[in-house]
Amino acid sequence: MSVKPVAHAHEGAKFLEEKAHYHFHDERLWDVRQKRDQEMHILPEWQELRQKASEIKEHTLANLPEYLEQFEKNAKANGIYVHWARDGEEHNRLVNEILQSHHAKSLIKSKSMITDECEMREYLEPQGITVTETDLGERIQQLDNQLPSHVVLPAVQKLTGDVAALFAKHYNTDPNDNDPHSLTEAQRQAARPIILNADAGMTGGNFLVAETGSFVVCTNEGNADLSANVTGLHIATLGIERIVPRMSDLGVFIRLLSRSALGSPITQYTTHFRKPKKNGEMHIILVDNGRSDRLAMDDFWSSLKCIRCGACMNTCPVYRRSGGQSYGAVYSGPIGAIIDPTFNKTKYSTLPFASTLNGSCTNVCPVKINIHEQIFKWRRVLVEEHEIPFVKKEIMKMAGRLLASPRLYRAAIKGTNVALSTMPRFILYNYLNPWGKHRELPHPVKQTFNSWYRQNRLKSAQKQSEKGGQVQ
Amino acid sequence: MTTIHQNARDVILAKLREKKIPQPEQFPLPDVVTLGDLDASPKRFEDNLLRMGGSLWPREEGESLEEAVRRKFPDVKICSATDEFKASFKITDLRSLKEANLVDVMVVRSPFGIAEMGAIFLSEKELSDHLADVHLAQHLIVLLSKSDLTANMHTAYQEREEFKSAAYGVLMSGPSATADIQGVLIRGAQGVRSLTVIWTD
Ligand code: SF4
Repeated sequence: MSVKPVAHAHEGAKFLEEKAHYHFHDERLWDVRQKRDQEMHILPEWQELRQKASEIKEHTLANLPEYLEQFEKNAKANGIYVHWARDGEEHNRLVNEILQSHHAKSLIKSKSMITDECEMREYLEPQGITVTETDLGERIQQLDNQLPSHVVLPAVQKLTGDVAALFAKHYNTDPNDNDPHSLTEAQRQAARPIILNADAGMTGGNFLVAETGSFVVCTNEGNADLSANVTGLHIATLGIERIVPRMSDLGVFIRLLSRSALGSPITQYTTHFRKPKKNGEMHIILVDNGRSDRLAMDDFWSSLKCIRCGACMNTCPVYRRSGGQSYGAVYSGPIGAIIDPTFNKTKYSTLPFASTLNGSCTNVCPVKINIHEQIFKWRRVLVEEHEIPFVKKEIMKMAGRLLASPRLYRAAIKGTNVALSTMPRFILYNYLNPWGKHRELPHPVKQTFNSWYRQNRLKSAQKQSEKGGQVQ
Repeated sequence: MTTIHQNARDVILAKLREKKIPQPEQFPLPDVVTLGDLDASPKRFEDNLLRMGGSLWPREEGESLEEAVRRKFPDVKICSATDEFKASFKITDLRSLKEANLVDVMVVRSPFGIAEMGAIFLSEKELSDHLADVHLAQHLIVLLSKSDLTANMHTAYQEREEFKSAAYGVLMSGPSATADIQGVLIRGAQGVRSLTVIWTD
């Protein structure tokens, strides 16, 4: 089946044209990034925490099957039903079966990217099950039929006016309301009756703890606590890489997570679920969906350390300027550029090119994933496997301007050895990169190489050639 | 259901055993660490609670808990989850979510707080298994003792057995919050609109 690669550069360019949105997006995320920096500076032990977080995750991934079994054993002993799903389809079938067996028709849900990954809503709704997102940002995206734009801030690309228009349509509120407070209140009022009448609740989760068979959910709205507790049925879906060995390991991660994500010390709610509530039923679905394949990839397995804080997105100049929607994927930004191609190499072949490789993502990552190096490695893989429609269609289109002039091409290629050896980098990272069009750096050349060459080097080159050189 | 999950489980585990790249001998389990500031003072707790949007409510000379709370919330429905606080009705009286939804103020006792985060802990024990009710109430008053503070997240997870024994354990650092609409911080998104701590010693 042929899949069209995501037109990331094109979509990003469109986002850049929406000036107000683009400026807000850029500034908001940069602000969050700076708040993260402040937190980092307050804690002298920051680098040590990152190192520990990385080591714990690496250790866990190296022993993943054993920790998963330990988790399962303990969770079952606590009365939790543990299920496993190889892929999204299997996950969705499981959720549907659990809901059907309880005659549950309405599901309230707290944000979880993994259910988007599985396209769960799309699967459940035709089965007659209403799925309502309780997280405000996620609900905004749901009402607008869009994927979340950011792992932590799902609707960060929208302005108040966009939300007002959306709520006016769905909640009958004033379309000219430009007060985030009253809009947030409108959501609270609209959500409460749905929450009170729900048949089942669903959450994602941030950490699984092998030692106790518990899992941890971090939210700011407390919507996971509501989703999990208002009904007698709680289903939690987590990726198998979410596990840590010991309860005490959480100290390291909780201290890093929200500080890296939003620059706040902790999320407002950090909830530990170890057993079903009294007279309730709890199900955990452990989802693989490509993770075991990724763990078998030499260059990319360590991306499974990711705790989804979004810091790499907030710092990425390409993400900030192109918006999450332009990635056309559940995971956007630098981490998306690494993990999306593991889901579909052709469809997401353009994403590893959406980076300046400045390394900022790697610097902020709380679990020390070498993000920019993996992005670079993906480029090599994609080029080697000819999954390079981006290079062909986008970069080459730009490069064509240069290459269309045979004289210039020859001059650039054969003029000096330096030009020859730097040519590929030049094509990928210079102004020919579509991203370069929207950056201040580097400036488009004021003078073409050809004219510069004629002015400065042609004579000496001709002399050389007369002396028997090869310049044509 | 059984056939699907048994099969999937074995397939996933077998695949992980067969193909994973990181090898156990390369990545030993790091020791448990206790890093950073170990100040467990009420002052540190208070500073961080305020930062997270929570508040403190002082008791005046000779004032009972009930009087103090009434001074903050006159004329509203107060529900108590603790015997220490006498209210017109108790959390165990709540028969439905709809009743809980009508509660203006919920008063609870927290077994411990974390100074680093201004966080308080609640489990099914303090809530008499009324887990949702505490989140459906509009405002939360938390009774906490200064001697029940632990320094930071490391010490909390290492010292407090609740993390291993509670069925449900939530750390709350202030009220429900969101900044999902154009980055404007708003308290009271889905859960409680305010969280106020009263020191009981
Ligand atoms: S890759 Fe690192 S910085 Fe990016 S979301 Fe994951 S943990 Fe955060």
